[in-house]
Amino acid sequence: MKKLTIIPLVIAVLMLLAKLALATDRYTEVMQKNIEEVYRAKTVEEFQSLANTFHRIAEAEKTKWEAFYYEAYTYVMMANAEVDAVKKDVMLDASLKALENAKNLQPGESEIVALEGFVHMMRVTVDPASRGQQYSGMAFQSFNKAVAMNPENPRALALLAQMEFGTAQFFGSSTTDACATASKAVEKFENQKPTSLLSPMWGKNMAQALNNKCQ
Amino acid sequence: MIRSLLHTSLALLITLSAGFAQTLISGNVMDEKGEAIPGANVSLKDTYDGASTGIDGGFRFSTQEKGKHILLVTFIGYKNYEEVLELASTALTINIVLKESINQLEAVTITAGAFTASDESRRTVFKALDIATTAGATADIAGALNTLPGTQKVGESGRLFVRGGEGNETRTFIDGLVVLDAYGPAAPDTPSRGRFLPFMFKGTSFSTGGYSAEYGQALSSALVLDSKDKQEATRTDLGILSVGGDVAHTQVWDRASLAGKIQYTNIRPYYGLINQEIDWVKPFVSLEGSSAYRKEIGKHGMLKAYGNFSSSALGLRQVNIENPAQTQVLSLDNDYAYANTFYKDQLSEKWAIRGGLSYTYLNNDAVLDGNQADEKEEGLHAKTVVEGSLSDRVEVKAGAEVITRSYEQVFRSSIFPLERTLAFTESITALFTEGDIYASNAFVTRVGVRAEHNSLLNEVSVDPRISFGYKLNNEGQFSLAYGTFRQSPKNDWLKLNTNLGQERAQHYIANYQFIDNNRTFRIETYYKAYRQLIKFTPGQPALSNNGGNGYARGFELFWRDRESLKRVDYWISYSYLDTKRNYLDYAASVMPSFASAHNFSVVYKHFISKWKMQLGATYSYSSPRPYHNPNEDAFMNSRTPAYHDLSINISYLPKPHVIVYASCTNILGRDNIFGYEYAATPDASGVFSGRAIRQPARNFLFLGVFITLSKDKGMSQLPSL
Repeated sequence: MKKLTIIPLVIAVLMLLAKLALATDRYTEVMQKNIEEVYRAKTVEEFQSLANTFHRIAEAEKTKWEAFYYEAYTYVMMANAEVDAVKKDVMLDASLKALENAKNLQPGESEIVALEGFVHMMRVTVDPASRGQQYSGMAFQSFNKAVAMNPENPRALALLAQMEFGTAQFFGSSTTDACATASKAVEKFENQKPTSLLSPMWGKNMAQALNNKCQ
Repeated sequence: MIRSLLHTSLALLITLSAGFAQTLISGNVMDEKGEAIPGANVSLKDTYDGASTGIDGGFRFSTQEKGKHILLVTFIGYKNYEEVLELASTALTINIVLKESINQLEAVTITAGAFTASDESRRTVFKALDIATTAGATADIAGALNTLPGTQKVGESGRLFVRGGEGNETRTFIDGLVVLDAYGPAAPDTPSRGRFLPFMFKGTSFSTGGYSAEYGQALSSALVLDSKDKQEATRTDLGILSVGGDVAHTQVWDRASLAGKIQYTNIRPYYGLINQEIDWVKPFVSLEGSSAYRKEIGKHGMLKAYGNFSSSALGLRQVNIENPAQTQVLSLDNDYAYANTFYKDQLSEKWAIRGGLSYTYLNNDAVLDGNQADEKEEGLHAKTVVEGSLSDRVEVKAGAEVITRSYEQVFRSSIFPLERTLAFTESITALFTEGDIYASNAFVTRVGVRAEHNSLLNEVSVDPRISFGYKLNNEGQFSLAYGTFRQSPKNDWLKLNTNLGQERAQHYIANYQFIDNNRTFRIETYYKAYRQLIKFTPGQPALSNNGGNGYARGFELFWRDRESLKRVDYWISYSYLDTKRNYLDYAASVMPSFASAHNFSVVYKHFISKWKMQLGATYSYSSPRPYHNPNEDAFMNSRTPAYHDLSINISYLPKPHVIVYASCTNILGRDNIFGYEYAATPDASGVFSGRAIRQPARNFLFLGVFITLSKDKGMSQLPSL
């Protein structure tokens, strides 16, 4: 009899535990769902909505760098989809702000520095004539720094290759270096081992497309 | 029993899952005008729950949270909105109005009289790179700004003459600190170049009137240069030029950078090749060096130190105008040093402080036929400014500054054992304050006042400045500006007589500006009244007084288009000027010799990526300028021919780190005449003999190769050209 009275208690405890477990894992689960959506999103509106979601998660969690990182990534993609130059800059500003928060939570993270370089690279596209010089220099610096922080980071390599390729093309000089970086990036993508369920996984297509151009 | 157990379990289950019961929250987000704001972030603070508003501003989400929670709504350009909600499973409908926040990006700016060049701000008319790539300017800041409306081309000077003002009425400030002599030395009637290279600056603000109360001692114009922050990359730059060479190196650390540059200029080899109007004894030689140190301090602090020195010499032979049979030898040695330290930091989230100290040293030794005139000037400027926001609609700044300078000229005659020293020391203490009051993002009023005490002239003054900006729509805006300005008389008069007052000007400006992506249109009209100008009877400058006056009025047009033609950027400026003054030894109120009624310029830049080249051309026109011919009765009644110049330049980038640059002025080879000078006494036949003031050479041809060595590929000197 006594044993039986324990049953509801056990059930209750189990449910409580489940609820707690659900809460801790909820971050990963919600993040995963939204990360998948970002990779699929196309329009400015979709990106804005996702950036807002990541921002809400980041603000609620307070200690999770990935949420800020994906907010920043979403803003970069959003800037890419936007046509208006002034609006593009606003989005890139928002991206940098999120990256700043991510950096404070996870100093020394190569992924964050690589994405920062991506923001600089996007700035160039807004006004290549007057910004090219300054921002392409900054982008190169970030990519090189990100590679130095983690030589296995395929995104840092892919972006660096992109930048090198663009520069070489602009000057009509040899793309050998750029292509070497691109093939290295592809190789690192093949072997990339995510350290967590939320590790950034984007960029493989970009590296492959560049590598194909090199063939 | 089992039943009761089941009951208990069920009861527990229900209580637990009650936590999963949802509250639906919906509504919409509007701005103050009742228009929907799409993309706003609606959230329950400290939870994941929330939504983004749709195209219609509507949102809808559900939450399992219970009890008191804060609903937070945010969107870029608007103030955050917070409301406490009591969540208890009943659906809530909330309509929210977001108030716009005043932010620099959207807010109206005062554009009357102001041309700002910056790489950071998006709504600028002129970019820092434009200065470097304008044909005819040969990377001289004043040269490039001379293609903007409001300036008058004065070919023999090279300085900025703004709206009927003399060259010295434009003052240069670096990081807010005054530069006493911003132009390098040049032979008489040949253009001088600015001492500061455009690539040092991240922002250039050129104001042709109505400027901030922060800037004093400038009657016509303020050229405010904002130096670059910490450099990002270690690099070495080499320049091989047709007139010399330079080496620069920048070293970067984590939080600091140090840059240095040495430049040697020798015009002799060039003059050996190209025929000159000037009979050189010693063609211009100079050695210049500069160094800049930047250090980031704390979270927001930045320390900047900058130093620059130059030493130059030139000598030439000219025909004595009083006696054409004679030639005179003129030599000019110039030593110059400028040092500037600047510090800025954030005091709190809303308040910032900046300040600095600048020192200028200038020594000019001129010898004309053995007669020596040694001129020495030293100046010190200390300044502190505190700025911040009283609220999101009111921004204020207040500051104090002291400018002390001492001037000495020693004159030694070659004939008499005579030595005469003229000297003075002037100390100006100033307080200023200014507020920007935003009624909305569309309307701003700027009110400022500047109080000064001048120790030399024993003068206390208060100068008000006021301006308005009104934004009609996203593209167009109106501005109005009014202000009073004053400036100490030129050293030439002050050294002879210190019993003078400061010269004064009043500016009234109205401006309309339209910027649509890459097209800009500006129209501006102004009236400027001059009072208390220096006046004296001919030949008696030591007995000068403040009895002179004058006016200038006109309108200006500017059009720039980087959109319509592919890979082409061009701008067109036109200035109309009507000005008269009765000052110095003038016999009447007339148009002064540096003024011209019509100024017109077209700047064209074409980028050809296939050839990795940028081609540029600049055409400038100035209508005839007045001069006084003593052989005529009427004063200042003669006119020079009109001025025309067509200059071209080519930049070629064969490799990412190499730039080849060539430029040539006046390719049409026009013999431009800037004015005439006459003998003081008539010759035997009773005629004052005269001669034309011409360009030192028909063309100036410049060639240079610039090489950048850096670890980061793809870096070149383009911005420094």
